[in-house]
Amino acid sequence: MDIFIYGIFNSISLALMALGFALVYGISRVPNFAHGALYVVTGFLTWGFLRTLHLNYFLSILLAMFITGIVGALIYQLILVRVRGMAISEIIASYAMGLAIIEGFRWWGFKGMTYTLPVFVEGSVTIAGIPIDWQRILVVAVGAAVVGFLWLFTHYTKVGLALRGMAQDERASLMLGIDSDRMAVVAMSFGAMLAGLAAIMLLPLGNIVVEKGYDVLILAIAVCIVGGLGSWMGAVVASFLIGFAQILTVVYLGAHFQMVVALLAIIVTLVLRPSGLFGRQKELEERV
Amino acid sequence: MKKSGWGVWIVLVAAFLMLAPSGRAVAAEPIVIGCPLPTAFLYGWDAERGVRLAVDEINAQGGVDVGGEKRMLKVELIDTRDLEPGVPVSEALLAVEKLILEKKADFIVGGPVRSEAALAAMPLLSKHKKVSIVTSGVLSPKYHAMVAQDYDKYKYCFRIHGEAKQLVTEIMDCLEHIKATFGLNNLFIMVQDVAHARAAGKILGDIALKKGWTVSGTEIFPTGTGDFSMGLIKAQKAGAQVLSLWMDMPESSILLKQWYDMQLPALPFGSTLAAAEQPGFWKATEGKGAYCLANVVNAGNAPSNATPWTMKFYDAYTEKWGIEPEGLGSSSSYMAIYTLKDAIERAGTLESDAVITALEQTDLMGVYGRLRFDPKSHQVIPSYDPQEGAVGSIFQWQDGKRVVVFPESIAMGKIILPPWMKMKQ
Repeated sequence: MDIFIYGIFNSISLALMALGFALVYGISRVPNFAHGALYVVTGFLTWGFLRTLHLNYFLSILLAMFITGIVGALIYQLILVRVRGMAISEIIASYAMGLAIIEGFRWWGFKGMTYTLPVFVEGSVTIAGIPIDWQRILVVAVGAAVVGFLWLFTHYTKVGLALRGMAQDERASLMLGIDSDRMAVVAMSFGAMLAGLAAIMLLPLGNIVVEKGYDVLILAIAVCIVGGLGSWMGAVVASFLIGFAQILTVVYLGAHFQMVVALLAIIVTLVLRPSGLFGRQKELEERV
Repeated sequence: MKKSGWGVWIVLVAAFLMLAPSGRAVAAEPIVIGCPLPTAFLYGWDAERGVRLAVDEINAQGGVDVGGEKRMLKVELIDTRDLEPGVPVSEALLAVEKLILEKKADFIVGGPVRSEAALAAMPLLSKHKKVSIVTSGVLSPKYHAMVAQDYDKYKYCFRIHGEAKQLVTEIMDCLEHIKATFGLNNLFIMVQDVAHARAAGKILGDIALKKGWTVSGTEIFPTGTGDFSMGLIKAQKAGAQVLSLWMDMPESSILLKQWYDMQLPALPFGSTLAAAEQPGFWKATEGKGAYCLANVVNAGNAPSNATPWTMKFYDAYTEKWGIEPEGLGSSSSYMAIYTLKDAIERAGTLESDAVITALEQTDLMGVYGRLRFDPKSHQVIPSYDPQEGAVGSIFQWQDGKRVVVFPESIAMGKIILPPWMKMKQ
């Protein structure tokens, strides 16, 4: 039962971390390697608003997510749009931005374990003899809600349908009057806010450290590669696969193999099915 | 006067101005202390602060007497990054080499801090014949074992703080005290996946078994782990009553938060538990770090009256840096500078072999007791009695304060159990 409960939590955590990355790539075909940095940005911004400006917690969260969204949009508009279509350059440029942000925080003095955010609900509950704290239950609820919201958004709203159109066929979307660059900015901003939402839900469980930016990036990439680059549903399914695989590894092999699972998943996927479980990149498969 | 006459006068005056003495005495070259430390981590910045405090104090008193000449101390610091996940040993070695070759360090004090990096730096120090005193991290017993095994090659290396074997001895003695006082005897070991922690966890487990403890499990967590729930559940299922924690990563505060939220009926007992060593830990965990025991390796890193110098150092550090000493490297880094000063003054020179001999003959009453080095291994000699050797320090978080509870010679309070453990007993 503990495997099931913590497996669900671990899977939803991975999904929350990865959805933003999947969204941005799915729509604009731009891999946002600054994704982990945006996660950390939201954390520190919320901390700053809450602990130094003493704003209300929810107001701090909203402001931090809004600013992160703006940062995401600016990263695309000022940098990535200039190298769009050049795959290697996109990766290098976005990774460089992420590196600059993360190391910038470190250089600025944001180090140590004293940067924390309060949980939304204190205390824990016992389910089938397994203690689990309310914050983790909230993470599962919010994660499920985000997946549901994304589905509704991309199926029933004008912007969401435009984003889906871009993801399916950019040229056809252009012919229908959808501005691909504008949609890419929207996607990037939205993806950044999703990274921020993941930070808001997960960081109260521990502390805000800059190294987390690198961890989140690796996990998001692992989930998206296994699920199929560009497939949001694939990202969700892959989160559960990797999430449960990690928990089973901790229980039966040992905690120190936990990170290996995610990296091994990348290698196995690229060897056996390069486009991922739900990916549609046939040319990659044919080339391999 | 003819033009050529004016020219001669101009040349003579210019020559005089260039060659005339300035009227001020030329300052003696400072003694350069090279500090290779991971400044983004507690065990780096605590050491830096200890070093700088000592250097400022010594310079304020006129500096170090080197064969009758007073020379100031100067700190040159380079970030080694050796506590980051993945342990980039090459970066640490580059930092040490840069300090020696570019910054012209006379001595190396502080790090590298990660045992793997410090061990790798030993041949480098030998190559350049640089005397080094490690003061933070580097808990692996292999460090001083290598000096003893190959003295001629590694004689330049000293360690002025406790190491893993000694820490295990202290922890084991404290555990025996806990067993006698509270009747607890089930130990679950949780370590970080780094050399010193793995080794110490294994040694502790073996010794605990011999002393009649039940060692109900061992979990190894990679550096950067953010979720310890499955490990804690394993501990709970195994009936753990004491959690032995060996982790220097900041994420260890997550473990303690999870422990508190789960109300696991096991007393957390950390060593090199960097998160719990810091005064800011209480606020960072919103009080969920209560009852956690932590071994800060040497006295002076938590308040006690080990020697007359202990609280003088403690208060001076707090005044200078606006925070109480935090981390295992604070008092040892401070004392390393004073010990080096003492050795240089007795040697009368900065020449390595002479300073090495002087360090081997050190007998100094410091912040954490009587400081002497084993002449073969260059490891500081430990003791539970500050009059005899370097004293360790184990504290417990009680009501927002770090209360030293072991060894009894310097204890300021007693160990208490979390209320949910008392209820279950």
